[in-house]
Amino acid sequence: MTVVASPTSGRVTRALAGTGTLLAFQARRDRVKLPVWVGGLGLFVAYVSAAVPQIAPQESDLETTAVLFRLPVGRMLTGPAYGLEAPTYERFFASGYGLYFGIIAALMNIMLVVRHTRLEEQTGRSELVRAGAVGRDAALTATLLLAAAANAVAAVVVSGAAIASGYPAAGAWLFGAGVGAGGLTFAGIAAVAAQISTSARAAAGLSGAVLAAAFVVRAGGDTPREGGTGLSWFSPLAWAQQTAPFVLDRWWPLAIPCAVAAALVALAYGLQARRDHGAGVLGERRGRAKAAGWLGTPLGLAFRLQRGNLLGWGAGLVLAGVVDGAFAQAMIDAGDSLPEAFRDVLGADAVLDGYLAFIALFVGYLAAAYGVSAVLLVRTEELRGRADTVLATPTSRQAWFGAHVVVAVFGVVLLLFLAGAAAGLAAAAVTGQPTLVGTMVAAHLNLVPGVLVVVALAVALAGVAPRLVAPVAWSAVGVVVFVGNFGSLLELPEALVALSPLSHLAQLPVESFALVPAVALLLLAAGGIAVGLWGVRRREINR
Amino acid sequence: MSTPVIETVRLVKRFGDVRALDGLDLTVQPGEVHGFLGPNGAGKSTTMRVLLGLLRADAGHARLFGGDPWSDAVALHRRLAYVPGDVELWPTLTGGEAIDLFARLRGSLDRRRRDELCERFDLDPTKKARTYSKGNRQKVALVAALASDVELLLLDEPTAGLDPLMEVAFQDAIRDTTQRGVTVLLSSHLLGQVEALADRVSIVRAGQVVESGTLRDLRHMTRTTIDVETEQPSGALADHPAVHDLRREEGRTTFEVDGEHVGEVMRILAGLGIRTIVAHPPTLEQLLMRFYGDGAETRSTR
Repeated sequence: MTVVASPTSGRVTRALAGTGTLLAFQARRDRVKLPVWVGGLGLFVAYVSAAVPQIAPQESDLETTAVLFRLPVGRMLTGPAYGLEAPTYERFFASGYGLYFGIIAALMNIMLVVRHTRLEEQTGRSELVRAGAVGRDAALTATLLLAAAANAVAAVVVSGAAIASGYPAAGAWLFGAGVGAGGLTFAGIAAVAAQISTSARAAAGLSGAVLAAAFVVRAGGDTPREGGTGLSWFSPLAWAQQTAPFVLDRWWPLAIPCAVAAALVALAYGLQARRDHGAGVLGERRGRAKAAGWLGTPLGLAFRLQRGNLLGWGAGLVLAGVVDGAFAQAMIDAGDSLPEAFRDVLGADAVLDGYLAFIALFVGYLAAAYGVSAVLLVRTEELRGRADTVLATPTSRQAWFGAHVVVAVFGVVLLLFLAGAAAGLAAAAVTGQPTLVGTMVAAHLNLVPGVLVVVALAVALAGVAPRLVAPVAWSAVGVVVFVGNFGSLLELPEALVALSPLSHLAQLPVESFALVPAVALLLLAAGGIAVGLWGVRRREINR
Repeated sequence: MSTPVIETVRLVKRFGDVRALDGLDLTVQPGEVHGFLGPNGAGKSTTMRVLLGLLRADAGHARLFGGDPWSDAVALHRRLAYVPGDVELWPTLTGGEAIDLFARLRGSLDRRRRDELCERFDLDPTKKARTYSKGNRQKVALVAALASDVELLLLDEPTAGLDPLMEVAFQDAIRDTTQRGVTVLLSSHLLGQVEALADRVSIVRAGQVVESGTLRDLRHMTRTTIDVETEQPSGALADHPAVHDLRREEGRTTFEVDGEHVGEVMRILAGLGIRTIVAHPPTLEQLLMRFYGDGAETRSTR
């Protein structure tokens, strides 16, 4: 018999019963995933610290490159640019890349928390667990302990890698701690999101939306001024940057993420105590008893399944386009005040054109990510057995698969068009140049062939080697983003740059439209899609 | 005899080292309800998925309405409906939307029958599939299948999540359907369900059909239990080769006798002077135990 000291401590103990076992079990399940995330962060440090001296053998050479991060557009994409007026390798590292460490840590935490809380509830697995001698709060507590441990290890690994790269220890520890503290904030955000929604996908989407909002708020705060403005401080991504490692080396801003994470965790426990197991704070709405007229074909079904995804991406990209476009005038002003040499670095006579080309490229990455996620839905349909029931009707495999491909391709074009139109309208409004609308729509649609090659790779794999779709297609997106962002900055080998289909296209509006690469990439994409359709016709379903 | 609706000959399907189907012979004639019996992992679902053209057989051949399930899939699927054992639906679609979708993909929806079936199965079509229990997801697939005008129903443990009341509704619905001449392949391990519905039964074990026939045929082939009280001692029976598991208790004798020797044993009993006698036909459980019980290995046709 259990001896209970007092009623209160008994309740707490009961609510937490089984936490240790669950923590060990969760760690066992994540024994590959988490080391990959954390190791990736460490490798990122090692890579940047090795690559930067390649392009700037002397610290004094950094000034030309560092100016990219100091421009308003640079601050918009990287952060407050602390210490870049007198750049050192470590300052260049922390100010130029710190934001991306924050984003990676945020993604790691969102996925970790949602995976071990809401996904378990949604699938009903946690019901089996809770039927054992396991307390109400055990799963959430174990998950948060695992997240805390992952963030602590990530902080140590990042700091260690920075120290090993020869950066001053004081700043390196602060930088690592900032990555860990930022991660904790997003663990808290995901813990709350997991209470609100009944589906894991929606919980991850909600957390991702907070991450995107954090990026936009920080961009709005950091763009006007070096060091950021008051607005920056409202973004969870900004707090680690505001410690200014290797410059001011101040620890106190990290109190904010710690306090916010604690408050969010308390909120999550509070929400969990008030809801039923498996339910969310948001209830389930009733739906239609009869299907709409258009929902009766494979294409109608594929569109219906992608609709929410497409709406979410569309809204996000339109918002980003408006924000990006609104900075057009600031770029013109910045360009006017720059010496000739710096304008050459940007690769364009007009700073504005370079900026516009860059934001189009950025949307191109996101459109590629959308396209891959849309193709992966086919794989999910197959693995969950839903493809069986559809294919048991007089629906051919090509019709079923092709419908999803059509929606993915249509979605890519639509997203690029919407983002281009939004950015163009916003840029035209702030600069008074109506032609920018057409310019921006063209710059975005110009990327369609390149993005479709990535989508077609996913389609081809889904047809012939379905198990490889997720790892290979996401790696392709990673290559495209990496090459696009760091290709010229880190002077990557040409063979690697050529791997990104987007690198073969003309950069509108800096360059004029080039037909040959566009047609070549379109043919390549069509070939990939044909391979996919051919493959899905011959292979077995969900074998 | 007309073309069988389903015919598989020495069908083989391998998954790596495992032979999920190991020479499976199955014939289903038009208009019959064919019970497909066997425990989990015997190969029932694999057979269904080969018949649907989702998997390709490694050897042997399968025919559906005389056509090839792999290459003629689309044309064949116009004539059939399928209910899997574990129905997965799209979480964001309502049950009603899913029913309409399946029916439209199949090309036929009898709206009146759909609404009637929803009522019969007590299914609320306005709820999102995410909130449905396993039983309710199963009902969605059943309503969609039964509301379409098809010639063949492939039902793979279709009532695994249903309560006994719904089981009755299911059996009624199947009887209504078969009155229209629909052929049914009913994979199940609910013996009562098969006994109530099936005209013919195939018993599958380790990827092979080990016995096939009407329930009456199968019963004849297996043992009848006889419980008898005789005037003279029944000692002579114990040595009879067709008599098994003989027990004697206060003048009553209970034993099992092989189906083909029942007449012979009855003549012996008549000579002993029967006071009372009760004979039980073998239950389906006994039939199955014969193929899956301790003696199953020696009975295997391999």
